[in-house]
Amino acid sequence: MKGTQRFRKPVTEAAGGIYFYPTQKANKKERMQKHSRPEVPEGMFCKCGGCGRMIYEKDLKDSYYCCPHCGKYFRISPAVRIKMVADAGSFFEWDRDIPQTNPLQFPEYEEKLQEQQEKTGLSDAVVTGEADIRGKHTALGVMSPDFMLGSMGTVVGERITRMVERATDRRLPVILFCCSGGARMQEGICSLMQMAKITQALKRHHKAGLPYITVLTDPTMGGVTASFAMLGDVILAEPGAMIGFAGARVIRQTIGQKLPEGFQSAEFLQKHGFVDRIVKREHMRKNLSFLLEAFLYSKSAGKKPHCPQGLCRMENKAFGTAEKSCGSGKKEREGQSYNDTKEIRQDAWRRVCEARSLKRPAALDYIHEIFDHFLELRGDRYFGDDRAVIGGLAMLEGRCVMVIGQQKGRSLAENKHRNFGMPSPEGYRKSLRLIKLAEKFCLPVLLLVDTPGAFCGIEAEERGQGEAIARNLFELADLKVPVLSLILGEGGSGGALALAVANQVWMMENAVYSVLSPEGFAAILWKDGKRVQEAAQVMKITARDMLERKIIDRILPEEEPADREHMDGLAARVKEEILIFLQKYEKKTPQELTEERYRRFRELI
Amino acid sequence: MYQKILIANRGEIAVRIIRACREMGIASVAVCSEADREALHSQLADECICIGPGRPADSYLNAEQVLSAAVVTGAQAIHPGFGFLSENTRFARMCRECGIDFIGPSPESIECMGDKAQARRTMMEAGVPVIPGTKEAMTDAAEGKKFADKIGYPVIIKAAAGGGGRGMRVVSGPEVFEEMFRVAQQETMQAFGDDRMYIEKYLAAARHIEIQILADQYGNTVYLGERDCSIQRRHQKMIEETPAWILDGETRKRMGQAAVKAARAAKYFSAGTVEFLLDSDGKFYFMEMNTRIQVEHPVTEMVTGIDLVKQMICISAGEKLPFDQNSVSIHGHAIECRITAEDPKHGFRPCLGTVQNLHMPGGNGVRVDSDLYLGYRLSPFYDSMLAKIIVCADTRQEAIRKLQSALGETVIEGLVTNLDFLYELAGSQWFAEGNCAAINEMLEGRCGA
Repeated sequence: MKGTQRFRKPVTEAAGGIYFYPTQKANKKERMQKHSRPEVPEGMFCKCGGCGRMIYEKDLKDSYYCCPHCGKYFRISPAVRIKMVADAGSFFEWDRDIPQTNPLQFPEYEEKLQEQQEKTGLSDAVVTGEADIRGKHTALGVMSPDFMLGSMGTVVGERITRMVERATDRRLPVILFCCSGGARMQEGICSLMQMAKITQALKRHHKAGLPYITVLTDPTMGGVTASFAMLGDVILAEPGAMIGFAGARVIRQTIGQKLPEGFQSAEFLQKHGFVDRIVKREHMRKNLSFLLEAFLYSKSAGKKPHCPQGLCRMENKAFGTAEKSCGSGKKEREGQSYNDTKEIRQDAWRRVCEARSLKRPAALDYIHEIFDHFLELRGDRYFGDDRAVIGGLAMLEGRCVMVIGQQKGRSLAENKHRNFGMPSPEGYRKSLRLIKLAEKFCLPVLLLVDTPGAFCGIEAEERGQGEAIARNLFELADLKVPVLSLILGEGGSGGALALAVANQVWMMENAVYSVLSPEGFAAILWKDGKRVQEAAQVMKITARDMLERKIIDRILPEEEPADREHMDGLAARVKEEILIFLQKYEKKTPQELTEERYRRFRELI
Repeated sequence: MYQKILIANRGEIAVRIIRACREMGIASVAVCSEADREALHSQLADECICIGPGRPADSYLNAEQVLSAAVVTGAQAIHPGFGFLSENTRFARMCRECGIDFIGPSPESIECMGDKAQARRTMMEAGVPVIPGTKEAMTDAAEGKKFADKIGYPVIIKAAAGGGGRGMRVVSGPEVFEEMFRVAQQETMQAFGDDRMYIEKYLAAARHIEIQILADQYGNTVYLGERDCSIQRRHQKMIEETPAWILDGETRKRMGQAAVKAARAAKYFSAGTVEFLLDSDGKFYFMEMNTRIQVEHPVTEMVTGIDLVKQMICISAGEKLPFDQNSVSIHGHAIECRITAEDPKHGFRPCLGTVQNLHMPGGNGVRVDSDLYLGYRLSPFYDSMLAKIIVCADTRQEAIRKLQSALGETVIEGLVTNLDFLYELAGSQWFAEGNCAAINEMLEGRCGA
């Protein structure tokens, strides 16, 4: 049946072999009637800038304005953005009527503004106001990519500044969706000054102990990046967003540098430590809600938003009645009782092997077992994101806890990724950043120690491994919130101590804590690396040894050596202990906490 | 009336619609996949546009491609046939936006009936009896079990978004419920990307009776008798007949009126089918509504003399129904059977091949709807249905004889088919007695575990 036409077609033949429709005149009248020639209306389809495929507008809407084929994010207007994140009908706009100016009398600027206003229906490149996100009230600013590419002029600066000031007065958090090409050229130096103006307001907002969350969307560049975009307590970004200071073209033209693939993408920034989380649009609302909950409304963060001072809760006299009898004798008794219940005579070396076992649960295993939710925050905001240290906000029965842990891998591939649990300076700087964040929001800190030691190598020395560890010890010394440190497996030297300056230090029964590995000890002292078992014995590194010297406060027993496949029971017991600690310590004042920590280490031999 | 219609389908239904267009003097545009360039519908239509590779998702299910073909050829309406885009709200909306008539109900009606849980709610509100079952779709097995325990076993688990028997499981007792629920849920997730299920009481010996309705855009709704589709293999219909011998005139009327009520509740126009389950006490329950032309529509056409496809086109073009309920009359008895390329000796597994020899039956009261021709090569991408043979006679007994005779005449070589199986079945005592339960049990046995 191929090739020649086999069938006769009466309708075609009747029309003389040529279609009467739509060319012939005879049907013109009919064409004007109901059944006219079909047409694809304007705006029914759009083309994806990523893959070039055609997309049905309604599909785009349903998929949060991401290409259903390749996943590329489309830029969206403030109205759409607000609809996506805020509770329906909860947004109330502020400062809509700030008059436009033309400070440089720039030619045709006013006409341009008017044209943009008509095109977008916005009065300038940012919309600010207040809204609820899953019932949590917040100040919300959204920049528009469509209005002169979100460039920052005086009106944008003024609007954001007023939003931050108002939020400070009314003790509201600020969430700001950044999207800007940078300063607005037509407003010259006045545009540059907005950076300083907004930042000043943000400093006051910060000092009032209020959360500021930025979301970097495509594109966030220039002066916006160099001011308010990068100052968030938490910085979120959309996948694939272009974020940077100097544009790629500028870099190429001025210094002729060749730029790598993915340069200045959100992923690039996260890798270099400047973005906490890359969040898909469909999860943005959930993430923001979680952060607000954690910082303001969880049990540990308590009634803060209504207090006049950010850190007032911890300083409040009403909470000063906490029991002060946290003497070492009691602690020892507690620890002792655990030992009495189960006497295990296991030699030190076997414990070292146990602590290093691949079967042993790592920090993330405990986190997932113990906490209801965990939101990881990444990056040190200086250089990178160390995968050997993980940290973030975790929910424990309505309380929010800042959890930071050293994470070992469970396979060779994962261990390479995690650098065998040996933190780099970035890791310590990340943990310090998160600890300070916890202090700002009065969140207790849980530190999970599990490292053979801090990473040693040229890179680590170049970036100041020693300084990074020292700074952690220094800042932990007078942290105003309760700190609990739990040694899960290996507590290797200074690398471990950086996360073990705490109000209480606990150890798992089979964990070890030492100034050096038994291998290193044997090599240095006896010049014989094989005498590790003996070394482990004489070094006194087991939990029991630690408790005797009051280096730690208690031992958490393991009925069987901990195994991540069967850790339900163990995790449940650890969880219970942590809850008891939190209940006890959240009653203490900052002075009590720092004083107790000082005494704890001062009284050691 | 339209001058040109695009048929967004393939196989025998596309051929069926092209024929209707011819009779109405409407030019037809076929769309085909690369695998279907030589298919009958591609050659028969006045124009043919290739819309993509063989995989349905790339061609017949690709709404954008189908729409482009319509715009390019200037087709004013699209007939979606059954399957593919026929019950796709998104596609119906897209057609509307482009000023193309979707020959079928409004997107709103499709939506209303497409989600089975919502359809049930609509029917309950309209006072149409429904099978005891969950009001809301559920995703949790334990929760489902609680409900099943309450209404009593056996129960049937169905996909909220489902169809064609996928994601459907009959559960005989509480001990296997949770496992079956999960299996069904998995299947649904894979097929439809949706894991919402709902649970109904399973009426073991119930018959599957469906009412054909036809409604215009001005609220005139009529029912055109019923079809008994109780013979099914794994929820796939095999033989359909009308009238259902089990119904008495009174029940038939009540069911017809319930169907009309259901259609009105969904503000339905075009041809549609309301499916009911009829239990042994003569009580009937709404099951679902199919918002499209159905495979088995010819049996209704044979006994009523009404061309359903032409009526759909007329209704879509805005014409009024040319008859009312009183002028619908049923003459004789019609039976349809589906010839498929499935091997009944090996659990009805689908087979491939090329037609080497072909003879189709004919004669008074014998109709063959098929897209087969000598040399036709079966494509692995699509349904295995090859032909429908429909017979019509004065009595059921005569119709059965005619069916067996027609099946006996039919020759399809080069493919393994269920022809011999159907011939045996048509001549069996069970079929003569209308013992569907026994037949279905036998079919289930042949399918294996």
